[in-house]
Amino acid sequence: MVLRSPLYKNQVKLSAKFTEFAGFEMPIQYSSIREEHFAVRRKVGLFDVSHMSNVWITGSDAAKLISLTTVEDTSRVENGKSQYTVILRENGTIIDDTIFMHLGEKFMMIPNAGMNQIVTKWLNEQAKNYHLKAKVEDVSHEYVILAIQGPKSKETLQKTTDVNLDSVKFFDCQIVKVAGVECILSHTGYTGELGFELQITPTRKASVVFDALLSAGEEYGIQPIGLGARDTLRLEKAFMLAGNEFEGGRTPLEATLGWTIFWDHEFIGKEALLKQKEQGTYQRMTCLECVEKGIPRHKCEIQKDGIVVGNVTSGTLSPCLNIGIAMGYVAPDKREVGNILDIMVRDKPLKVKVIKPPFVPKDWAQKHEEIATR
Amino acid sequence: MTHDVRDGLKYTKTHEWVKLTGSKAKIGITDHAQEELTDIVFVELPTVGKEIKKGEELCVVESVKSVSEVYAPVSGKIVAVNTKLDDSPEIINKSPYDDGWLVELEVKDKAEVNTLLDATAYKKL
Repeated sequence: MVLRSPLYKNQVKLSAKFTEFAGFEMPIQYSSIREEHFAVRRKVGLFDVSHMSNVWITGSDAAKLISLTTVEDTSRVENGKSQYTVILRENGTIIDDTIFMHLGEKFMMIPNAGMNQIVTKWLNEQAKNYHLKAKVEDVSHEYVILAIQGPKSKETLQKTTDVNLDSVKFFDCQIVKVAGVECILSHTGYTGELGFELQITPTRKASVVFDALLSAGEEYGIQPIGLGARDTLRLEKAFMLAGNEFEGGRTPLEATLGWTIFWDHEFIGKEALLKQKEQGTYQRMTCLECVEKGIPRHKCEIQKDGIVVGNVTSGTLSPCLNIGIAMGYVAPDKREVGNILDIMVRDKPLKVKVIKPPFVPKDWAQKHEEIATR
Repeated sequence: MTHDVRDGLKYTKTHEWVKLTGSKAKIGITDHAQEELTDIVFVELPTVGKEIKKGEELCVVESVKSVSEVYAPVSGKIVAVNTKLDDSPEIINKSPYDDGWLVELEVKDKAEVNTLLDATAYKKL
Protein backbone atom coordinates (compact mmCIF):
# COMPACT_ATOMS: atom_id res chain seq x y z
CA MET A 1 0.00 0.00 0.00
CA VAL A 2 1.21 3.47 -0.84
CA LEU A 3 0.44 6.20 1.67
CA ARG A 4 -0.21 9.76 0.68
CA SER A 5 0.16 12.96 2.63
CA PRO A 6 -3.10 14.64 3.68
CA LEU A 7 -1.81 17.48 1.48
CA TYR A 8 -1.72 15.33 -1.66
CA LYS A 9 -4.50 17.32 -3.36
CA ASN A 10 -2.77 20.63 -2.64
CA GLN A 11 0.38 19.19 -4.22
CA VAL A 12 -1.41 17.94 -7.31
CA LYS A 13 -2.84 21.44 -7.75
CA LEU A 14 0.73 22.79 -7.61
CA SER A 15 1.72 20.36 -10.44
CA ALA A 16 3.99 18.25 -8.27
CA LYS A 17 5.75 15.21 -9.72
CA PHE A 18 5.55 12.34 -7.28
CA THR A 19 7.87 9.56 -6.18
CA GLU A 20 7.59 6.73 -3.72
CA PHE A 21 9.74 7.12 -0.64
CA ALA A 22 9.56 4.79 2.37
CA GLY A 23 6.04 3.72 1.42
CA PHE A 24 4.78 7.25 0.82
CA GLU A 25 3.90 8.91 -2.45
CA MET A 26 5.50 12.32 -1.96
CA PRO A 27 6.40 15.22 -4.28
CA ILE A 28 9.90 14.79 -5.69
CA GLN A 29 9.75 18.18 -7.37
CA TYR A 30 7.36 20.92 -8.40
CA SER A 31 9.34 23.13 -10.80
CA SER A 32 12.87 21.74 -10.90
CA ILE A 33 15.26 20.49 -8.24
CA ARG A 34 17.72 23.21 -9.09
CA GLU A 35 15.18 26.02 -8.95
CA GLU A 36 13.74 24.76 -5.69
CA HIS A 37 17.22 24.33 -4.24
CA PHE A 38 18.09 27.96 -4.90
CA ALA A 39 14.69 29.14 -3.65
CA VAL A 40 15.59 27.69 -0.23
CA ARG A 41 19.18 28.94 -0.27
CA ARG A 42 18.20 32.48 -1.32
CA LYS A 43 14.53 33.02 -0.43
CA VAL A 44 12.16 30.59 1.22
CA GLY A 45 10.70 27.16 0.54
CA LEU A 46 7.85 25.13 2.02
CA PHE A 47 8.20 21.37 2.47
CA ASP A 48 5.60 18.78 3.36
CA VAL A 49 7.53 16.12 5.26
CA SER A 50 4.57 14.19 6.59
CA HIS A 51 6.31 10.95 5.63
CA MET A 52 8.44 11.49 8.74
CA SER A 53 7.10 9.85 11.91
CA ASN A 54 5.59 11.19 15.13
CA VAL A 55 5.85 9.29 18.39
CA TRP A 56 4.62 10.47 21.81
CA ILE A 57 6.61 9.36 24.83
CA THR A 58 4.73 9.91 28.08
CA GLY A 59 4.80 8.72 31.69
CA SER A 60 6.91 9.58 34.74
CA ASP A 61 9.94 7.75 33.28
CA ALA A 62 9.66 9.20 29.75
CA ALA A 63 12.94 11.12 30.04
CA LYS A 64 14.70 8.08 31.51
CA LEU A 65 13.52 5.93 28.61
CA ILE A 66 14.94 8.40 26.08
CA SER A 67 18.24 8.53 27.95
CA LEU A 68 18.40 4.74 27.98
CA THR A 69 17.61 4.27 24.29
CA THR A 70 19.58 7.19 22.83
CA VAL A 71 23.08 8.62 23.27
CA GLU A 72 21.57 11.76 24.80
CA ASP A 73 21.47 12.51 28.52
CA THR A 74 17.89 13.72 28.50
CA SER A 75 18.15 15.33 31.94
CA ARG A 76 20.12 18.17 30.33
CA VAL A 77 17.47 18.86 27.66
CA GLU A 78 15.28 21.61 29.08
CA ASN A 79 11.57 21.91 28.68
CA GLY A 80 10.88 23.73 25.41
CA LYS A 81 14.01 22.41 23.69
CA SER A 82 14.48 20.03 20.77
CA GLN A 83 17.44 17.66 20.57
CA TYR A 84 19.04 15.66 17.75
CA THR A 85 20.21 12.19 18.77
CA VAL A 86 20.54 8.56 17.66
CA ILE A 87 18.84 5.37 18.85
CA LEU A 88 21.21 2.40 19.12
CA ARG A 89 21.08 -1.38 19.15
CA GLU A 90 23.05 -3.29 21.80
CA ASN A 91 25.90 -3.66 19.27
CA GLY A 92 26.18 0.12 18.98
CA THR A 93 24.77 0.44 15.46
CA ILE A 94 22.16 3.08 14.70
CA ILE A 95 18.51 2.08 14.49
CA ASP A 96 17.53 5.63 13.56
CA ASP A 97 18.51 9.24 14.02
CA THR A 98 15.84 11.51 15.37
CA ILE A 99 14.89 14.80 16.92
CA PHE A 100 12.87 14.75 20.11
CA MET A 101 11.05 17.70 21.62
CA HIS A 102 10.66 18.30 25.33
CA LEU A 103 7.10 19.56 25.72
CA GLY A 104 6.27 19.78 29.42
CA GLU A 105 5.50 16.32 30.76
CA LYS A 106 5.69 14.75 27.34
CA PHE A 107 8.23 14.20 24.63
CA MET A 108 7.52 14.02 20.95
CA MET A 109 10.04 12.07 18.89
CA ILE A 110 10.34 12.43 15.11
CA PRO A 111 11.80 9.19 13.72
CA ASN A 112 12.47 8.89 10.00
CA ALA A 113 9.96 7.89 7.35
CA GLY A 114 8.88 4.29 7.72
CA MET A 115 10.60 3.98 11.12
CA ASN A 116 7.52 4.67 13.28
CA GLN A 117 6.63 1.07 14.05
CA ILE A 118 10.22 -0.08 14.54
CA VAL A 119 11.08 2.76 16.91
CA THR A 120 7.79 2.52 18.84
CA LYS A 121 8.20 -1.22 19.31
CA TRP A 122 11.86 -0.91 20.33
CA LEU A 123 11.17 1.82 22.89
CA ASN A 124 8.19 0.00 24.37
CA GLU A 125 10.25 -3.19 24.68
CA GLN A 126 13.03 -1.36 26.50
CA ALA A 127 10.53 0.34 28.83
CA LYS A 128 9.30 -3.12 29.72
CA ASN A 129 12.79 -4.68 30.01
CA TYR A 130 14.02 -1.91 32.32
CA HIS A 131 10.74 -1.56 34.26
CA LEU A 132 10.22 2.06 33.29
CA LYS A 133 6.90 3.85 33.61
CA ALA A 134 6.70 5.15 30.09
CA LYS A 135 4.28 4.80 27.24
CA VAL A 136 5.34 5.09 23.62
CA GLU A 137 2.64 5.76 21.07
CA ASP A 138 2.92 5.97 17.31
CA VAL A 139 0.80 8.93 16.18
CA SER A 140 2.41 9.41 12.77
CA HIS A 141 -0.87 9.17 10.87
CA GLU A 142 -2.38 11.94 13.03
CA TYR A 143 0.18 14.56 12.05
CA VAL A 144 1.18 16.62 9.08
CA ILE A 145 4.72 17.95 9.24
CA LEU A 146 5.65 21.12 7.40
CA ALA A 147 9.09 22.69 7.15
CA ILE A 148 9.59 26.30 6.15
CA GLN A 149 13.22 26.95 5.34
CA GLY A 150 15.38 29.69 3.89
CA PRO A 151 16.58 33.21 4.73
CA LYS A 152 13.02 34.56 4.41
CA SER A 153 11.37 31.77 6.41
CA LYS A 154 11.16 33.83 9.57
CA GLU A 155 9.47 36.83 7.89
CA THR A 156 7.06 34.49 6.14
CA LEU A 157 6.10 32.53 9.23
CA GLN A 158 5.86 35.71 11.33
CA LYS A 159 3.03 36.95 9.12
CA THR A 160 0.93 33.92 10.07
CA THR A 161 1.58 33.66 13.82
CA ASP A 162 1.26 35.83 16.95
CA VAL A 163 4.31 34.44 18.69
CA ASN A 164 7.29 36.78 18.36
CA LEU A 165 9.81 34.70 16.40
CA ASP A 166 12.66 36.94 17.59
CA SER A 167 12.18 35.30 20.98
CA VAL A 168 12.39 31.78 19.53
CA LYS A 169 15.94 30.45 19.67
CA PHE A 170 17.54 27.74 17.55
CA PHE A 171 16.17 24.33 18.62
CA ASP A 172 13.42 25.88 20.77
CA CYS A 173 10.04 24.16 20.57
CA GLN A 174 6.63 25.27 21.75
CA ILE A 175 2.93 25.12 20.96
CA VAL A 176 1.77 28.06 18.87
CA LYS A 177 -1.00 29.00 16.49
CA VAL A 178 -0.18 29.36 12.81
CA ALA A 179 -2.99 30.68 10.62
CA GLY A 180 -5.29 30.03 13.58
CA VAL A 181 -4.30 26.36 13.78
CA GLU A 182 -2.52 24.92 16.80
CA CYS A 183 0.91 23.52 15.87
CA ILE A 184 4.07 22.40 17.58
CA LEU A 185 6.70 24.82 16.33
CA SER A 186 10.40 24.00 16.44
CA HIS A 187 13.27 26.14 15.22
CA THR A 188 14.89 23.25 13.35
CA GLY A 189 15.44 22.02 9.83
CA TYR A 190 17.36 19.84 7.40
CA THR A 191 18.64 22.42 4.94
CA GLY A 192 21.31 24.33 6.86
CA GLU A 193 19.30 27.53 6.38
CA LEU A 194 17.25 29.55 8.84
CA GLY A 195 14.07 27.55 9.30
CA PHE A 196 11.20 26.16 11.29
CA GLU A 197 9.21 22.94 11.42
CA LEU A 198 5.55 22.54 12.31
CA GLN A 199 3.70 19.47 13.60
CA ILE A 200 0.02 19.82 12.84
CA THR A 201 -2.92 17.80 14.15
CA PRO A 202 -5.66 17.02 13.17
CA THR A 203 -4.38 16.59 9.65
CA ARG A 204 -7.48 18.13 8.02
CA LYS A 205 -6.37 21.52 9.39
CA ALA A 206 -2.98 21.34 7.67
CA SER A 207 -4.24 22.60 4.33
CA VAL A 208 -5.09 25.98 5.88
CA VAL A 209 -1.56 26.31 7.25
CA PHE A 210 0.03 25.15 4.00
CA ASP A 211 -1.94 27.68 1.94
CA ALA A 212 -1.45 30.49 4.47
CA LEU A 213 2.33 30.02 4.40
CA LEU A 214 2.41 29.95 0.60
CA SER A 215 0.44 33.23 0.44
CA ALA A 216 2.49 34.85 3.21
CA GLY A 217 5.70 33.94 1.40
CA GLU A 218 4.57 35.12 -2.01
CA GLU A 219 6.24 38.52 -1.63
CA TYR A 220 9.53 36.77 -0.86
CA GLY A 221 9.31 34.32 -3.78
CA ILE A 222 8.31 31.25 -1.78
CA GLN A 223 8.19 27.91 -3.60
CA PRO A 224 6.87 24.49 -2.59
CA ILE A 225 9.85 22.13 -2.38
CA GLY A 226 10.01 18.42 -3.18
CA LEU A 227 12.15 15.60 -1.85
CA GLY A 228 14.67 16.05 -4.68
CA ALA A 229 15.83 19.45 -3.44
CA ARG A 230 15.47 18.30 0.16
CA ASP A 231 18.18 15.74 -0.62
CA THR A 232 20.56 18.15 -2.41
CA LEU A 233 20.08 20.77 0.32
CA ARG A 234 20.94 18.37 3.13
CA LEU A 235 23.81 16.79 1.23
CA GLU A 236 25.52 20.15 0.65
CA LYS A 237 25.50 20.55 4.45
CA ALA A 238 26.68 16.93 4.99
CA PHE A 239 23.58 16.04 7.01
CA MET A 240 22.88 12.33 7.34
CA LEU A 241 20.04 10.55 5.57
CA ALA A 242 19.30 7.51 7.73
CA GLY A 243 18.41 5.11 4.89
CA ASN A 244 21.69 5.92 3.12
CA GLU A 245 24.27 6.81 5.76
CA PHE A 246 23.32 4.18 8.36
CA GLU A 247 22.58 1.39 5.86
CA GLY A 248 24.00 -1.96 6.85
CA GLY A 249 24.52 -0.96 10.49
CA ARG A 250 26.82 1.94 11.37
CA THR A 251 27.71 3.29 14.78
CA PRO A 252 27.63 7.01 15.68
CA LEU A 253 31.44 6.89 15.91
CA GLU A 254 31.65 5.67 12.32
CA ALA A 255 29.06 8.26 11.27
CA THR A 256 31.18 11.00 12.94
CA LEU A 257 28.27 11.71 15.25
CA GLY A 258 30.52 11.34 18.30
CA TRP A 259 29.49 14.86 19.37
CA THR A 260 25.96 13.59 20.07
CA ILE A 261 27.19 11.01 22.61
CA PHE A 262 26.93 11.83 26.32
CA TRP A 263 29.24 9.23 27.81
CA ASP A 264 28.38 10.01 31.46
CA HIS A 265 25.12 8.11 31.41
CA GLU A 266 24.06 4.53 30.81
CA PHE A 267 22.54 3.77 27.43
CA ILE A 268 21.96 0.79 25.20
CA GLY A 269 24.98 0.29 22.93
CA LYS A 270 27.45 2.14 25.19
CA GLU A 271 29.65 -0.88 25.84
CA ALA A 272 29.99 -1.62 22.14
CA LEU A 273 30.88 2.02 21.42
CA LEU A 274 33.53 2.10 24.14
CA LYS A 275 35.12 -0.99 22.66
CA GLN A 276 35.06 0.44 19.15
CA LYS A 277 36.49 3.74 20.35
CA GLU A 278 39.41 1.93 21.97
CA GLN A 279 40.16 -0.09 18.85
CA GLY A 280 39.94 3.03 16.68
CA THR A 281 40.30 1.21 13.37
CA TYR A 282 36.79 1.77 12.09
CA GLN A 283 35.84 3.54 8.83
CA ARG A 284 34.54 7.05 9.26
CA MET A 285 32.05 9.26 7.42
CA THR A 286 34.01 11.42 5.02
CA CYS A 287 33.08 14.27 2.71
CA LEU A 288 34.43 14.08 -0.82
CA GLU A 289 34.38 16.74 -3.50
CA CYS A 290 35.04 15.94 -7.18
CA VAL A 291 38.09 17.52 -8.74
CA GLU A 292 36.97 16.47 -12.21
CA LYS A 293 33.63 16.16 -14.02
CA GLY A 294 31.32 13.41 -12.91
CA ILE A 295 28.75 12.55 -10.28
CA PRO A 296 29.37 10.00 -7.55
CA ARG A 297 26.35 7.96 -6.48
CA HIS A 298 25.14 5.80 -3.61
CA LYS A 299 27.08 2.50 -3.36
CA CYS A 300 30.04 3.49 -5.57
CA GLU A 301 33.36 2.09 -4.33
CA ILE A 302 36.03 4.43 -2.99
CA GLN A 303 39.61 3.46 -3.86
CA LYS A 304 43.15 4.60 -3.20
CA ASP A 305 45.76 3.32 -5.66
CA GLY A 306 43.36 0.64 -6.87
CA ILE A 307 42.60 -0.67 -3.38
CA VAL A 308 39.10 -0.36 -1.92
CA VAL A 309 39.12 1.95 1.10
CA GLY A 310 35.40 2.64 1.47
CA ASN A 311 32.07 3.25 -0.22
CA VAL A 312 29.78 6.14 -1.08
CA THR A 313 26.54 6.41 0.88
CA SER A 314 25.19 9.57 -0.83
CA GLY A 315 26.25 11.44 -3.92
CA THR A 316 24.86 14.13 -6.15
CA LEU A 317 25.69 17.16 -8.18
CA SER A 318 25.82 20.14 -5.83
CA PRO A 319 23.53 22.77 -7.35
CA CYS A 320 25.47 25.55 -5.58
CA LEU A 321 28.99 24.39 -6.43
CA ASN A 322 28.07 22.74 -9.75
CA ILE A 323 30.42 19.83 -9.00
CA GLY A 324 29.89 16.28 -7.83
CA ILE A 325 29.88 15.79 -4.06
CA ALA A 326 29.70 12.63 -1.98
CA MET A 327 29.53 11.33 1.56
CA GLY A 328 30.88 7.92 2.32
CA TYR A 329 32.77 5.71 4.73
CA VAL A 330 36.57 5.74 4.35
CA ALA A 331 39.36 3.92 6.19
CA PRO A 332 40.75 6.10 9.02
CA ASP A 333 44.21 6.52 7.49
CA LYS A 334 42.90 7.63 4.07
CA ARG A 335 40.62 10.50 5.06
CA GLU A 336 42.97 13.35 5.84
CA VAL A 337 41.63 16.64 4.43
CA GLY A 338 43.14 17.23 0.99
CA ASN A 339 43.75 13.54 0.25
CA ILE A 340 42.92 12.54 -3.30
CA LEU A 341 40.88 9.35 -3.70
CA ASP A 342 39.07 7.65 -6.59
CA ILE A 343 35.35 6.97 -6.66
CA MET A 344 34.56 4.21 -9.13
CA VAL A 345 31.71 5.37 -11.36
CA ARG A 346 30.75 2.83 -14.04
CA ASP A 347 34.13 1.10 -13.52
CA LYS A 348 36.08 4.30 -14.15
CA PRO A 349 37.90 6.27 -11.45
CA LEU A 350 36.57 9.73 -10.66
CA LYS A 351 39.09 11.86 -8.74
CA VAL A 352 37.81 13.34 -5.50
CA LYS A 353 39.33 15.32 -2.66
CA VAL A 354 38.63 14.85 1.03
CA ILE A 355 37.15 18.05 2.45
CA LYS A 356 36.08 19.27 5.85
CA PRO A 357 32.27 19.45 6.03
CA PRO A 358 30.07 21.16 5.05
CA PHE A 359 30.42 21.35 1.27
CA VAL A 360 28.52 24.63 1.19
CA PRO A 361 29.13 26.96 4.14
CA LYS A 362 26.56 29.21 5.78
CA ASP A 363 25.35 32.15 3.67
CA TRP A 364 27.19 30.79 0.62
CA ALA A 365 24.26 31.50 -1.72
CA GLN A 366 24.00 35.13 -0.57
CA LYS A 367 27.69 35.62 -1.28
CA HIS A 368 27.44 34.03 -4.71
CA GLU A 369 24.45 35.79 -6.20
CA GLU A 370 25.98 35.63 -9.67
CA ILE A 371 25.34 31.89 -9.84
CA ALA A 372 22.19 31.56 -11.88
CA THR A 373 19.42 29.18 -10.94
CA ARG A 374 19.47 27.78 -14.51
CA MET B 1 1.16 17.20 -20.73
CA THR B 2 1.93 17.07 -24.41
CA HIS B 3 5.47 16.80 -25.64
CA ASP B 4 7.03 17.83 -28.88
CA VAL B 5 7.37 14.94 -31.32
CA ARG B 6 9.02 15.86 -34.62
CA ASP B 7 7.83 14.46 -37.92
CA GLY B 8 10.54 12.96 -40.09
CA LEU B 9 12.52 11.51 -37.18
CA LYS B 10 12.55 7.88 -36.08
CA TYR B 11 11.96 6.89 -32.47
CA THR B 12 12.49 4.06 -30.00
CA LYS B 13 10.25 2.90 -27.18
CA THR B 14 13.02 3.95 -24.80
CA HIS B 15 12.68 7.59 -25.95
CA GLU B 16 15.68 8.03 -28.21
CA TRP B 17 15.33 9.73 -31.60
CA VAL B 18 17.27 9.13 -34.84
CA LYS B 19 17.69 11.55 -37.73
CA LEU B 20 19.11 9.87 -40.81
CA THR B 21 20.99 11.96 -43.38
CA GLY B 22 22.62 9.81 -46.08
CA SER B 23 24.41 7.08 -44.16
CA LYS B 24 24.84 9.17 -41.03
CA ALA B 25 22.42 9.22 -38.13
CA LYS B 26 22.22 11.80 -35.39
CA ILE B 27 20.88 10.45 -32.12
CA GLY B 28 19.36 12.18 -29.13
CA ILE B 29 16.68 11.84 -26.49
CA THR B 30 13.11 12.98 -27.00
CA ASP B 31 11.33 15.95 -25.48
CA HIS B 32 9.42 13.52 -23.28
CA ALA B 33 12.69 11.99 -22.01
CA GLN B 34 14.28 15.35 -21.16
CA GLU B 35 11.09 16.41 -19.38
CA GLU B 36 11.10 13.22 -17.34
CA LEU B 37 14.77 13.61 -16.43
CA THR B 38 14.64 17.40 -15.83
CA ASP B 39 17.77 19.38 -14.95
CA ILE B 40 20.31 17.37 -16.95
CA VAL B 41 23.65 18.06 -15.28
CA PHE B 42 26.10 15.57 -16.76
CA VAL B 43 26.53 13.58 -19.95
CA GLU B 44 29.10 10.84 -20.38
CA LEU B 45 29.74 10.64 -24.11
CA PRO B 46 31.40 7.71 -25.90
CA THR B 47 34.69 7.89 -27.79
CA VAL B 48 34.66 8.75 -31.47
CA GLY B 49 35.58 5.72 -33.59
CA LYS B 50 33.90 3.22 -31.28
CA GLU B 51 31.72 0.56 -32.92
CA ILE B 52 28.40 0.08 -31.25
CA LYS B 53 25.61 -2.44 -31.69
CA LYS B 54 21.89 -1.69 -31.57
CA GLY B 55 20.63 -1.91 -27.99
CA GLU B 56 24.04 -1.35 -26.38
CA GLU B 57 24.64 1.53 -23.98
CA LEU B 58 25.52 4.55 -26.06
CA CYS B 59 25.99 7.14 -23.35
CA VAL B 60 24.83 8.13 -19.89
CA VAL B 61 22.71 11.16 -19.09
CA GLU B 62 22.50 12.26 -15.47
CA SER B 63 20.11 14.62 -13.76
CA VAL B 64 20.61 15.82 -10.21
CA LYS B 65 18.67 12.84 -8.95
CA SER B 66 19.03 10.08 -11.53
CA VAL B 67 21.33 8.24 -13.89
CA SER B 68 19.84 7.16 -17.23
CA GLU B 69 21.41 5.06 -19.93
CA VAL B 70 20.81 5.96 -23.55
CA TYR B 71 20.80 2.91 -25.84
CA ALA B 72 21.96 2.80 -29.44
CA PRO B 73 18.80 2.70 -31.57
CA VAL B 74 20.85 1.31 -34.49
CA SER B 75 24.29 -0.25 -35.00
CA GLY B 76 27.20 1.72 -36.38
CA LYS B 77 30.47 3.54 -35.81
CA ILE B 78 30.56 6.71 -33.76
CA VAL B 79 31.79 9.54 -36.01
CA ALA B 80 30.97 12.54 -33.81
CA VAL B 81 29.85 13.44 -30.31
CA ASN B 82 28.28 16.69 -29.17
CA THR B 83 31.18 18.10 -27.14
CA LYS B 84 29.15 21.20 -26.25
CA LEU B 85 27.34 19.00 -23.75
CA ASP B 86 30.52 18.65 -21.68
CA ASP B 87 30.17 22.20 -20.45
CA SER B 88 26.46 22.78 -21.01
CA PRO B 89 24.51 19.55 -20.57
CA GLU B 90 21.36 21.62 -19.97
CA ILE B 91 21.22 22.21 -23.76
CA ILE B 92 19.41 18.85 -23.91
CA ASN B 93 16.59 20.28 -21.80
CA LYS B 94 16.36 23.38 -23.93
CA SER B 95 16.72 21.84 -27.36
CA PRO B 96 16.40 18.04 -27.31
CA TYR B 97 16.01 17.66 -31.10
CA ASP B 98 18.50 20.25 -32.35
CA ASP B 99 21.41 21.61 -30.27
CA GLY B 100 20.98 18.83 -27.72
CA TRP B 101 21.89 15.92 -30.00
CA LEU B 102 24.21 13.36 -28.40
CA VAL B 103 26.05 11.27 -30.94
CA GLU B 104 26.41 10.85 -34.69
CA LEU B 105 26.78 7.34 -36.10
CA GLU B 106 27.91 6.01 -39.47
CA VAL B 107 25.02 3.59 -39.81
CA LYS B 108 25.92 -0.01 -40.60
CA ASP B 109 22.59 -1.07 -42.04
CA LYS B 110 20.08 1.58 -43.07
CA ALA B 111 17.30 -1.02 -43.05
CA GLU B 112 17.67 -1.06 -39.28
CA VAL B 113 16.49 2.56 -39.15
CA ASN B 114 13.28 1.63 -40.92
CA THR B 115 12.36 -0.81 -38.15
CA LEU B 116 12.12 2.10 -35.67
CA LEU B 117 8.90 3.93 -34.83
CA ASP B 118 7.76 6.92 -36.86
CA ALA B 119 6.39 10.07 -35.22
CA THR B 120 2.78 8.86 -35.32
CA ALA B 121 3.63 5.52 -33.73
CA TYR B 122 5.83 7.17 -31.07
CA LYS B 123 3.07 9.63 -30.13
CA LYS B 124 0.78 6.69 -29.43
CA LEU B 125 3.13 5.26 -26.77
